[in-house]
Amino acid sequence: MSAAPADLPDRGGLNADVLSADARREALALLGLCSPGIVLVGIIIVLPIGWLFWLSLFDETGMLSGANYARVVEQASYVRTFITTFEVAFIVTGLCVLLGYPLAYMLSQLPRRAASICLIFVILPFWTSVLVRTYAWLVILQRKGLLNTWLMDLGVISQPLPLAHNFTGVLIGMTHILLPFLVLPLYASMKAIDADYLRAAMNLGAPPTATFWQIFFPLSLPGLAAGVVIVFILCLGFFVTPALMGGGKVIMWAMRMEQTTSLYSNWGAGSALGVVLLAVTLGLLGVFRWLLGARATSAWGAR
Amino acid sequence: MSIARSAPPINIRGIAKRFGSVPVLSDLNLDVAPGEFLTLLGPSGSGKTTLLMILAGFVRANAGSIGIGGEEVIAKPPHKRNIGMVFQNYALFPHMNVFHNIAFPLKQRRTPAAETAERVEKALDLVQLQGLADRRVDQLSGGQRQRVALARAIVFEPRIVLMDEPLSALDKGLREHMQIELRSLHRRLGMTTVYVTHDQREAITMSDRIAVMNKGRIEQLDRPETLYARPRTRFVAGFIGESNFIPVECRNDSVWYAAKRVYTASPLPSPGRHWLVVRPERVRLAANAEPDANANLLDATVRDVVYQGDSFICYATLADGQQIALRDYCRGDVLTLLPGAGQPVRLRIEPEDAILLADEI
Amino acid sequence: MRKSRVVSALAVIGITIPVAQALAADTIAVASWGGTYQEAQAKAFFKPTADALGITIKEDTTNGLDDVRLQVTGNAVKWDITELGADECARGSKEGLFEKLDYNVIDKSGINPKLVHDDWVGISYTSVVLIYRTDVFGEKGPKTWADFWNVEKFPGRRALSGSQATETLSVAALAEGIPIDKVYPVDVDGALKSVDKIRGHIDAWWTSGAQAMQLVKDGEVDMASIWNGRAGTLKKEGAPVSFSFDQGVLTADCMVIPKGSKNKDIAMKALAMFVSPQLQANLPLYVDNGPVNEKAFETGKIPQERIKDINSAPENVKKQVLQDAEFWRDNLVEATEKFDNLIQQ
Repeated sequence: MSAAPADLPDRGGLNADVLSADARREALALLGLCSPGIVLVGIIIVLPIGWLFWLSLFDETGMLSGANYARVVEQASYVRTFITTFEVAFIVTGLCVLLGYPLAYMLSQLPRRAASICLIFVILPFWTSVLVRTYAWLVILQRKGLLNTWLMDLGVISQPLPLAHNFTGVLIGMTHILLPFLVLPLYASMKAIDADYLRAAMNLGAPPTATFWQIFFPLSLPGLAAGVVIVFILCLGFFVTPALMGGGKVIMWAMRMEQTTSLYSNWGAGSALGVVLLAVTLGLLGVFRWLLGARATSAWGAR
Repeated sequence: MSIARSAPPINIRGIAKRFGSVPVLSDLNLDVAPGEFLTLLGPSGSGKTTLLMILAGFVRANAGSIGIGGEEVIAKPPHKRNIGMVFQNYALFPHMNVFHNIAFPLKQRRTPAAETAERVEKALDLVQLQGLADRRVDQLSGGQRQRVALARAIVFEPRIVLMDEPLSALDKGLREHMQIELRSLHRRLGMTTVYVTHDQREAITMSDRIAVMNKGRIEQLDRPETLYARPRTRFVAGFIGESNFIPVECRNDSVWYAAKRVYTASPLPSPGRHWLVVRPERVRLAANAEPDANANLLDATVRDVVYQGDSFICYATLADGQQIALRDYCRGDVLTLLPGAGQPVRLRIEPEDAILLADEI
Repeated sequence: MRKSRVVSALAVIGITIPVAQALAADTIAVASWGGTYQEAQAKAFFKPTADALGITIKEDTTNGLDDVRLQVTGNAVKWDITELGADECARGSKEGLFEKLDYNVIDKSGINPKLVHDDWVGISYTSVVLIYRTDVFGEKGPKTWADFWNVEKFPGRRALSGSQATETLSVAALAEGIPIDKVYPVDVDGALKSVDKIRGHIDAWWTSGAQAMQLVKDGEVDMASIWNGRAGTLKKEGAPVSFSFDQGVLTADCMVIPKGSKNKDIAMKALAMFVSPQLQANLPLYVDNGPVNEKAFETGKIPQERIKDINSAPENVKKQVLQDAEFWRDNLVEATEKFDNLIQQ
């Protein structure tokens, strides 16, 4: 770069104004290209949620009030429902991890053809309705269901195990339905782990267990985190399975929202429950990110 | 770092490996001397990487024996072989920083923390990466990653180091620089090293000995200069350096190119068709009046002359259409004296430069 | 000539306009609960009405008062008549969601006056009955709600409705020994205390008729409260069950014209047909829900031997408690919240 002639202003260069105008035009054009997406997100996400929030601020007489939120805090049954919901979500997510991680690991180690056949069996349940699958579990788990009948015929138990119409039933049913949501992202992230990392670890003296815990497991964490978040969020909004498998004794938040919406003449009553769930969910997502984020980003970054 | 004292030999006997019904290695024997830098050179699919994987213990052979310092290791799991390895893509653990990557093998060996820190420091010094211990792997350049991989492979003072095309991802300048550095590192540490590459220049630059592999067998195992000067098969001659291949025939106790007698220092082969192999830089332009003196003189027509800076290549065609290349340095005014395309020239090949090889096909 | 052309032109216009209006109003939309119940209604009410009035009745299904509220408050009314539970009708009426009914068009005679209101009218009855499995108890099962509450005398697994607080509270009041005619107005706190006594012995709180049926059918419970239609189906399927209308809780369904219906007048005529004795008498031929118009039993359409099995037959009505829609209109929210709070403990 040679020095600019003295008579030119410092900030200008050859065609500087034309080029910066061009940059501005490009930014505007990009914004224009994005606008359909922004508008769509606004219409189908931001507006309805805003409206939900707005509605939740009005009581039955149409007056601005905090009654809808007060009810959630004051009435013991709402608090209990809330606790139940998160209890179920945490346990089901935990069960999904316990069952899904070994399953995804097995799939990721199988030869490609065998893995794709097994994956079909993982995805297959998606093609039947949640209602049908839940009823199928009832057939298997209830007092005179298949499982209890077999176990009693075999003399393993003398009294039927209480597996349906209670907390256990809800856990079994939901874990089954949500398992693929954990397995699929986890499988994808496990498949992406280069076998050379594992070879390198073994070569450097790590026995198979150390290789798994120090190399494979940390590298699979981003997929696990994605799966855990999906399963957990889906749990919070689950309706059909707890309604049918819980015997009316496991009331989750979504069921409460349905009850509240039909019980109260103002939408605000149900809306407030929605807003509370949304806020807590977002808060938890933040915590998830904070817990898993650092490791996840470093592992992704290297790809 | 004191590898040299304990560097063991590697004795490979009768290794065979099939993938399904496809044989990849068959009855392979190879001895690597203590502290030697031996390169497995060959095209892709020649089995060199498979052999390396069998050495490291990642691939199970169908048959054979591997002795390291007299100890049979063929059935030992990889983590008990105590062999350092540098991978083609470095395989640095992305979730660990440089320090933890290099400390990984020490951690597996339950090395005390203070000693670990000291040895990682030394290893970083050795590969000239002082002060980068806290960097994340994805913050390193390709060359730096290469060095970290190297440091990690030697920090635990393995008896043997394996390298699987470790420089192939680097650009040319850096690659050549690293070749020299690897070589000097090997001289300083003296570990027995098996190096895999498909780059013949790299192999020649770095190796004590080169095993040229083709179709699962070792075609020739020799020092680089021997390999170059005395290739034993047409494959080796073609794979290492450039060669002219001229079809000749052996009859009546002498060798003939068409009706022309060929003088060669090679021992006389069996009657039949053979290849005469000549390196381009061993072909000379002969003055027309030069006396015969048992040298091979061939009349040809210049097709093209390609200027390459330090040298030039002259492509010529013999009377029967056989192509022949000639290379020489651009000394003095040699370029201006060169004949142009279409002009006749006479080529001269000394008998000791004319190598006779069996016709394999 | 000229004059006659004008006349004929006028005639054409005069004829065409009303015809066009009639064509536009020819179709009304009626929403009900779907399933076998709505199929029966289609055969008993909708088709005969459509044939008699020369209109088309388009069917839809509803989830209840929420749907109506959504349509009316959102100014998007798509139904001309919709079915609701009686307590929903009472609540919707208070919210002003329905059109006034014209009892000059609709003949209310034969319908219980408690189910005849300015803007809603009863259409059919469902009963909540006590069902028990005969393979567990033989014929000596629990006959009254007091029996159901007596866990020592009748050990076994039990289910009650968790979603219909009004029904379960009525049943709980009966279990306390309150006579049929004194149940309403319900002493909610007393009924809740009664629920509190039994709740530890309830194995499932059902939330849908299908679920109640499945619980009994699969032997998941030995006794339950259940809707008579579902109980009748179980019996027809040959399940080992027994039930009667003794101490049943009669719950009426009603029909309304959502406010803003575009075919109000035709809807009114159709509704008049639906509640007429002749069409009401059709209903029990197809389904176990009883007719709301007691004159239906005088039409002679219903076979004598069938009458005793119909929950709204005069003999059976006497044995049961009729749910008071207006009581629940005023007490539903508070009672339901308390009930939910109790059973979720």
